[in-house]
Amino acid sequence: MKILVVDDFSTMRRIVKNLLRDLGFTNTQEADDGNTALPMLKSGGFDFLVTDWNMPGMQGIDLLKNVRADPELKSLPVLMVTAEAKREQIVEAAQAGVNGYIVKPFTAGTLKEKIDKIFERLEQ
Amino acid sequence: MTESVDLENARNLVKCLEENDQEGADMYMAELTKARESNLFIEVGKLTRELHEALSNFQLDTRISDLAAQDIPDAKDRLKYVIETTEDAANKTMDAVEKSLPMADNIGLGASNLKTDWDKLMNKQMQPAEFRVLCQDMKSYLDDTKNSAHTLHTLLTEVLMAQGYQDLTGQVIRRVIQMVQDVEESLVTMIRMFGSMNDYDDAKDKTKIEDGVEGPIVNKEKRDDVVNSQDDVDDLLSSLGF
Repeated sequence: MKILVVDDFSTMRRIVKNLLRDLGFTNTQEADDGNTALPMLKSGGFDFLVTDWNMPGMQGIDLLKNVRADPELKSLPVLMVTAEAKREQIVEAAQAGVNGYIVKPFTAGTLKEKIDKIFERLEQ
Repeated sequence: MTESVDLENARNLVKCLEENDQEGADMYMAELTKARESNLFIEVGKLTRELHEALSNFQLDTRISDLAAQDIPDAKDRLKYVIETTEDAANKTMDAVEKSLPMADNIGLGASNLKTDWDKLMNKQMQPAEFRVLCQDMKSYLDDTKNSAHTLHTLLTEVLMAQGYQDLTGQVIRRVIQMVQDVEESLVTMIRMFGSMNDYDDAKDKTKIEDGVEGPIVNKEKRDDVVNSQDDVDDLLSSLGF
């Protein structure tokens, strides 16, 4: 399984990559905002997207909307890991078709739980 | 009015002097100077007030110039230092952790391999040739573990030392908070002198609502438009049918 991790802070990308590796996902790539991530996703091969919301350039919510609007990418599972904690934002992400939403700071357990849940649903 | 009073007093003064009435002359003289003095005091008072205002304006001007020219650029440098120092500490910590994790995994893996062989030995199912291998494996495992324990100790010390960023950035941030407070005080002084304190008080009572992205919420307890925990997020999403 190939996963794209999108966050403007390299330390957060590194934390997420380490946690993903612990969960058995060793094939991960990184991007620092939506503008970098979108062409990578379009070039194909990614099975899962983990993205932050607040980034310079293209924000996570717009990346999500772009993914859902692209016929090739629209069913890509997307997990948002972000410090954005306003209810209206969570509702907006849900309406845009996010598959999971984690607020920072988060734990390894939360990440595992949300990823398990996303794949459980996809299998159904 | 004052002129006629002055004239009256002057005439009386001349009269008293001609009549050699010193006491009366002193009285009219005092009346005449009193009028002059009270005008003088009003003028001096005005000047003093103007001087005072000019001085305090001048102080405010130089303070604001200092803030704009020195303190604010300095605060930006300080905050940049905080970003760099925390990033550096996070990377140092993760370097050490990424080296430690496989070492911990290997210690566990080696132990469980040995345990399988050990159980075989305990159940008397081991051939002498296998036992010799077990002895060798045991020796290298003990050597490896000893080395790993030493390396882990060093790496954990690195993690410990990396936490020194908290002290350094704490000091720097405290200075920036002091600077922000100075700016606030200067602004309030300026509002008091040139603006409206009522507007200021009204603005103080208003709750500021941020639009769009705002990063981590630092005053969750004062906000009712944000979630407090992952549980809140999960509840909200499930209420939306997730």
